Amino acid sequence: MKPPAKMSKPTSLFVIFFSLFVMSEAVFEDQVGKFDWRQQYVGKTLFAHFDSHSQSSKKLFLATDKNIFASFNSRTGELFWRHVDKAGPEGTIDILLLHGQDALMVVGGGRLLRSWDTNMGGLNWEAVLDTGSFQAACFVAMQDTVKHVAVLKKAAISLHYLTNGHQKWVENLPDSDTVQYQAVYSGGEEEVYVLGVVPNSHLTIIAYSLEDGEIIKQRSVEAPWLSSVESSCVVVGHGVLMCVDTATLALYALPIQSLDLEVSPGFQPVLVSSQPHPARSPISEFFLQLGPDHHVLLQLNADGYTIAPLRDFQPAFLVSFSTTGEKTVAAVMTPKNETVKKKKNVACAINLFSADSGRRLLDTTVIFPLDLNGGKPFKLYVHAFLKKDDSVGYRVLVQTQDHALTFIQQPGRVVWTREEALADVVTMEMVDLPLTGTQAELEGEFGKKADGLFPMVLKRLSSQVILLQAWLAHLWKLFYEARKPHGQVKNEVTIETLSRDEFNLQKMMVMVTASGKLFGIDSKSGSILWKHYLENVQPNAVFKLIVQRTTAHFPHPPQCTLLIKDKDTGLASLHVFNPIFGRKSHIAPPALPRPILQSLLLPVIDQDYAKVLLLVDDQYKVTAFPSTKNVLQQLQEMASSIFFYLIRSDQGNLSGFRLRKDLSTERIWEVVLPTEVQKIVAVNGKRPNEHVHSQGRVMGDRSVLYKYLNPNLLAVVTESTDAHPERAFVGVFLVDGVTGRIIHEAVQRKARGPVHFVHSENWVVYEYWNTKSRRNEFSVLELFEGTELYNSTVFSSLDRPHLPQVLQQTYIFPSPITTMEATLTEKGITSRHLLVGLPSGAILSLPKMFLDPRRPEVVTEHSREENLIPYAPEMPIRTEWFINYNQTVARVKGIYTAPSGLESTCLVVAYGLDIYQTRVYPSKQFDVLKDDYDYVLISSVLFALFFATMISKRLAQVKLLNRAWR
Amino acid sequence: MWLHVRLSEVCLFLQAMFILACCFSDMESGPIATSGSVQPNGDRFKIEGRAIVPGVKTQDWISSARVTVEGEEYIGFLGTDGSFVVNDVPSGSYVVEVISPGYKFGAVRVDITSKGKMRARLVNFIKTSEVIRQPYPLQLRSSGPRTYLMKRETWGWTDFLMNPMVMMMVLPLLIIVLLPKVVNTNDPEMRKEMEQSMNMLNPNPELPDVSEFMTKLFSGSKSSSSKAIGGSKASGRPAVKRRWCQNITCTSGLRNYCNWSCHGNYNAIFKKSFFIRLYNCFLSRVFFPSSEIQVCK
Repeated sequence: MKPPAKMSKPTSLFVIFFSLFVMSEAVFEDQVGKFDWRQQYVGKTLFAHFDSHSQSSKKLFLATDKNIFASFNSRTGELFWRHVDKAGPEGTIDILLLHGQDALMVVGGGRLLRSWDTNMGGLNWEAVLDTGSFQAACFVAMQDTVKHVAVLKKAAISLHYLTNGHQKWVENLPDSDTVQYQAVYSGGEEEVYVLGVVPNSHLTIIAYSLEDGEIIKQRSVEAPWLSSVESSCVVVGHGVLMCVDTATLALYALPIQSLDLEVSPGFQPVLVSSQPHPARSPISEFFLQLGPDHHVLLQLNADGYTIAPLRDFQPAFLVSFSTTGEKTVAAVMTPKNETVKKKKNVACAINLFSADSGRRLLDTTVIFPLDLNGGKPFKLYVHAFLKKDDSVGYRVLVQTQDHALTFIQQPGRVVWTREEALADVVTMEMVDLPLTGTQAELEGEFGKKADGLFPMVLKRLSSQVILLQAWLAHLWKLFYEARKPHGQVKNEVTIETLSRDEFNLQKMMVMVTASGKLFGIDSKSGSILWKHYLENVQPNAVFKLIVQRTTAHFPHPPQCTLLIKDKDTGLASLHVFNPIFGRKSHIAPPALPRPILQSLLLPVIDQDYAKVLLLVDDQYKVTAFPSTKNVLQQLQEMASSIFFYLIRSDQGNLSGFRLRKDLSTERIWEVVLPTEVQKIVAVNGKRPNEHVHSQGRVMGDRSVLYKYLNPNLLAVVTESTDAHPERAFVGVFLVDGVTGRIIHEAVQRKARGPVHFVHSENWVVYEYWNTKSRRNEFSVLELFEGTELYNSTVFSSLDRPHLPQVLQQTYIFPSPITTMEATLTEKGITSRHLLVGLPSGAILSLPKMFLDPRRPEVVTEHSREENLIPYAPEMPIRTEWFINYNQTVARVKGIYTAPSGLESTCLVVAYGLDIYQTRVYPSKQFDVLKDDYDYVLISSVLFALFFATMISKRLAQVKLLNRAWR
Repeated sequence: MWLHVRLSEVCLFLQAMFILACCFSDMESGPIATSGSVQPNGDRFKIEGRAIVPGVKTQDWISSARVTVEGEEYIGFLGTDGSFVVNDVPSGSYVVEVISPGYKFGAVRVDITSKGKMRARLVNFIKTSEVIRQPYPLQLRSSGPRTYLMKRETWGWTDFLMNPMVMMMVLPLLIIVLLPKVVNTNDPEMRKEMEQSMNMLNPNPELPDVSEFMTKLFSGSKSSSSKAIGGSKASGRPAVKRRWCQNITCTSGLRNYCNWSCHGNYNAIFKKSFFIRLYNCFLSRVFFPSSEIQVCK
């Protein structure tokens, strides 16, 4: 089990030598970008800033919920650079402030303060803040120059220098246990104001001296109506705090003024103000949002007491302020016309208004189509700039509810769109594309019953003619396009032109994202062909995507079903759609009133060729979908051979059930793993579409070692509840899913998770952390029946008296891993590779050959004959095995493998923050000519040989003739 | 193990005077705290260092690089000058790596004691307790750009001709063609000389050696009468040839050819096969070390 600590040098040398020869997996120089692509995403935008440092700057800075700080090219939407911090609460970006070239960030709930050089993408400095949860931060200016940043925590305020992050002073806030301090403000004077509130009692305002942090003033204002400063108060004009009373809708500018405005029922009014420069006070105009699409522009008069409405905007989705030079403008987004609401797309208009007068600026209207299917617009980021003629121009970034970003330029041109929902892909499937008409015609020829020789010949001839026609048309198209200038030729993929290619290498990737948006992506180009936003999906929903009918059953459309389950309640719903076009199917899914525990796809098909999906609810009742008479009858017939399992990881319970004829179930076995000792982390069966070509392995002495190929085998991984490094362990149980028999049990002592594992064919590979030696280790379990098969024709879990022989070996892996998957090919002839996602973003293609428990420690004649690599404790990682070369995939979450029409080729999609699609050839391309096939050499050799024979023939003739003359 | 560590910690506490000298000695036996778990009263420390890519400006690579501590347990970013600080790290032992898609960096193991004392050493996953000290604060120098891509093998005439195997095939061929023209093989004395030199080329231990052969040859010629000289010559040559045939060493690749030359009519094809055999022997000498030589037939 444990790798021996010593490693003999010759062995390791031999391995290296061996690997040099054996390994084929590497990307060639000319293959870069040929069939692979990568798309980089950042996630849902939390903060966005345009680089206003210089007029012509193209930079756009985003901070997202995936803890990423990124710089984009605003002209193309491409990334300049991106910094991926640790996932989870330790890396969350609390605030992003931009000043000149520096971007300031508070990270991890007030843990760190970072300053970035936005030009280079490097860190200026990083400072550790005192503990305490973060509340607010702002720049503090002194005599028109910004030199400090103030960070407000729950119980303290600190001031830091912008140049090096050093702390100037830190002060504890008075009465921090009763007062909730929520905002910090500086208007360019020598003071920093901290605003705190005691809910429904009073408001506290403290002014600190900039120099030494002394409290200059402290004031408390009665405000029994105020519950939170953050949501209902802004600072407007020269230090006037404007608060909105949600109950009576009065605006408090300290002297209270009631306004005659009507707020929508159930809506919390929102105030929007703008402070163009930290050294100056905010402008005296502000927006008040009264309803979901109702905004009012208000102005605080110069006397500082009266408020005058400037303009009423209804309907208006979003409003935003932007400042350029001395001018401040307000951008308002309105729907263009209400009448076309039935349509999918709604035209939206954005207008600019002068902030100080409320007048509309001329020639600033931008009209663009908005896909309402993607949810409502969510936020507007405006970048205003002065044109040469001193008028105001602007660019707009619109964020919609589905996390998509759209960048719009005057006049009404959508420059780019980014589907940021794809930063969080949850699950995916690859679906074959439909055949074209001609292909279907050809295929149909084989499907039909033979009706005489002559009609068959005719049919064959006609289909050949069709093929010839198609080929000629293709040639003509090539010729026609060759005459056109290169730029005009566009090979755009649309849904209409999609069809299967010769080797079924191009497929439709159906991706399900956590936000509930579904995407259909062309696997060849990576272009998004359809998208569908499911609006009312809970944020904590879990998804399972099932392909019920593939494209093989023309004229029935392919059908996918998405099972959406609420994690808390367990209640589920089904979304049935066509994976090629993304359209919702007209088939009504069954109502699921009870929580769903398990779903299983049966190989049974109904009369429309859709596979049957069984859903098991918490009363162990089974719902079938589709549930036609035909299906129910079939289910009744084969009910006794339908088994399924349920996992209750909170109870440490694994149980097996059998279906009864009346679609109820009976429990037939149960395995209990006591939760006090260990908890079930993951259970994994084999992939149903996996083929195993060879039943056994031929050994060096010509005998055959048969594999134990149990299709019902489940691999159960447990972790100990005791996390102490000396007592922690990882357990792997192999359980037969039909009988509940534990086939094998392996316990790895002094080990802890996260455990990543792959279960396929007759092996399980798992990876864990060795707490004693502080390293990652791979372990492989292989199951063999022995040299004789018990029943070679069919495998039955109920009739296997002998337990398999289990071989195990363990290796050191010199890097942590994030995910693992095995390659998959059409017939399973090609050797297998493991695809390992590393934290660096690389995807390592590791030959299964290295994870073979029969690797000998001492090389013998037999092992050499079998091509076994001698055992070496450390697994090599070679950069040539990275299938994605330098196209790293940040935070790889899953790797999806799918077979193609070629046995040698496996399609791979790695998803995480980014999406990367490629093909791998684990045994090289043995069934097609290689890319580097040298046609010139072969043909020249052929011609040379041909001419050589001609000449030598002639010479021989002459010689014979001469001899005859002699 | 844990107890031992705890005890040694207590010992260290008692012997506060010697902390500076011996605080690392207990690290060999095991970790003081595992990564990830926060010590109840433990402080957080920072790992500092600097990464350099020789010959490349920092702004060309830092924006795509980051520093990872034990996978993605803790993450640091590179400053504009290539320096980095990973804050908020509890005591323990960590593998620190600079990850850049473009450049290779070696990993370093950093041990932090509960007192906050730092040490950097080479990563060795097999001998985990081995200590080869590295400078701290870390100085990570890139060993060059990463190579991900393989070069295609291209085919060129020069590559083909300069291939050592081809050279070995072509040169002897030239000898075969040219040698008969230079040396007059019809001269029996010359032929004999060459036969002898051939045998000199074949010091195969499994076969009767040259001296034995020579003594036989000479004793045979001495004992035989003068009238039998012609006969002995006639009968001696096939014997010699048979011996030759045995002497011709070959491997599987050459076996067919060798068989053919063994079964052929030697007298008839002697003139040509002599050189073929010469070539054969030459080849077998050059390509195959003596251990792999098999005798055909």
